Amino acid sequence: MKTLTTRYLMACAAIGAATGVLLIPAYFVSFAISAAVPLAYAAIAGVWFLGPVVALAVLRRPGAAVLTMFLAGIINIASPAGPSAIITNLMVGGALELGFLITLYRIWRPWLFFLTGALFQVYYAISAYAYFNIDDMTTAAQVAFFVLLFASAAIFTQLGLIIAKRLTAAGVARGIAPAPVPAAR
Amino acid sequence: MSDSIRSLRSYNPVVKTLAPVPAMIVVALSRDLWTPAVIGTIALLLLLIGGGLRGRTLLWVVAGPPLLVALLTVSFGIWTDPALVDETTALLTIGPFTLWSGALHTGLATGLRVAAVLLLGLIVGLTTDGPDLVRSMIAHLRVPYRIGYAGFAAMRFVPRFQRDLEIIRLAHRVRGVSGGRGPVTTLRRYGGYAVPLLAGAMRHGDRVSLAMEARGFGADRTRTERRQVPLRSRDAVLAALLIALCFVPHLPGALG
Repeated sequence: MKTLTTRYLMACAAIGAATGVLLIPAYFVSFAISAAVPLAYAAIAGVWFLGPVVALAVLRRPGAAVLTMFLAGIINIASPAGPSAIITNLMVGGALELGFLITLYRIWRPWLFFLTGALFQVYYAISAYAYFNIDDMTTAAQVAFFVLLFASAAIFTQLGLIIAKRLTAAGVARGIAPAPVPAAR
Repeated sequence: MSDSIRSLRSYNPVVKTLAPVPAMIVVALSRDLWTPAVIGTIALLLLLIGGGLRGRTLLWVVAGPPLLVALLTVSFGIWTDPALVDETTALLTIGPFTLWSGALHTGLATGLRVAAVLLLGLIVGLTTDGPDLVRSMIAHLRVPYRIGYAGFAAMRFVPRFQRDLEIIRLAHRVRGVSGGRGPVTTLRRYGGYAVPLLAGAMRHGDRVSLAMEARGFGADRTRTERRQVPLRSRDAVLAALLIALCFVPHLPGALG
């Protein structure tokens, strides 16, 4: 509890609220377009990465992604995804956190964000396989599905890192994020 | 808040959130038509009987799922690999494209699956308000109240965001930041709102946390609530019903 200061919690609430607002239309759109074009679903799957990437990159503290996505999930209850929104969000947040947990929260370099994101997409692709009957699609559609999935993950991770860099430059996380270690930069 | 036993609003929010999850997993992994169709229909009936839906929401809940199923049936009819279904009946041939009945079957199953998961999610989505869910999480799921209160704060941040966004938009416009029309420019313009919006929100969060701590928030291990969200025997009944939906795939076998 000592590391869970009120200020840190409120910072997560701020990023979480923004993520939640962003994800409500994303859940609506994903239900609508997954109906018409399953490939477009893969293209927007990366939107879910934006919140946790920003939270982790700005706050650089254990639990930032999980907390942020949990709070975003509470806001997403109003979307058609309902309770699965909290679970989806926690899954994404937890997965992005894993890479940093394994490295004991010592590495905050961009490659770890991309690597963790890509690994999660592998897992996600497997679960989407059953849900969307992807193995029944034509080979071209299957290839396109995976290319779009990984491309959208990479693009939104990059976008999140850019936003995080600018937020850090604005100085909002001063006192929350640990001071950067000179040797690691 | 209606307290009638027939109203889904009177049930515990955490129960409504967690109890449909096993059925959702069963539906998501199913491949037949029977499972999602039955579970989806039961969820729809629950919503219609207990949801107290009105107006546009009611219209969407009734008309949305069939539309979704129809859309997915047709679109998957196009996306499905013809090699897998070419022993089934060909329904329609347009140039090089043939619509196979097997492809439509796959599409129908997928559509029913998506619609059933959606309807199960709407049970909580349409009948719960956020603060009650958080209160119930603190009381019944033992979520630390500090994290729960961060949830309250996040909900309160949302209307503030909308106001902030309007101010930032006006400020950008006054300085002539908007660079023309078109989807790409619009997207770039919204990207420009993201950083000031988030920075403002985090600074607001700092001030809120100071105000909360100044009032002694987090000083004690527990915190009492003015409003209690009940957990009653009716919630156990609802949970049992929703979890029992997992056995729907075995029903045709049991019935012979």
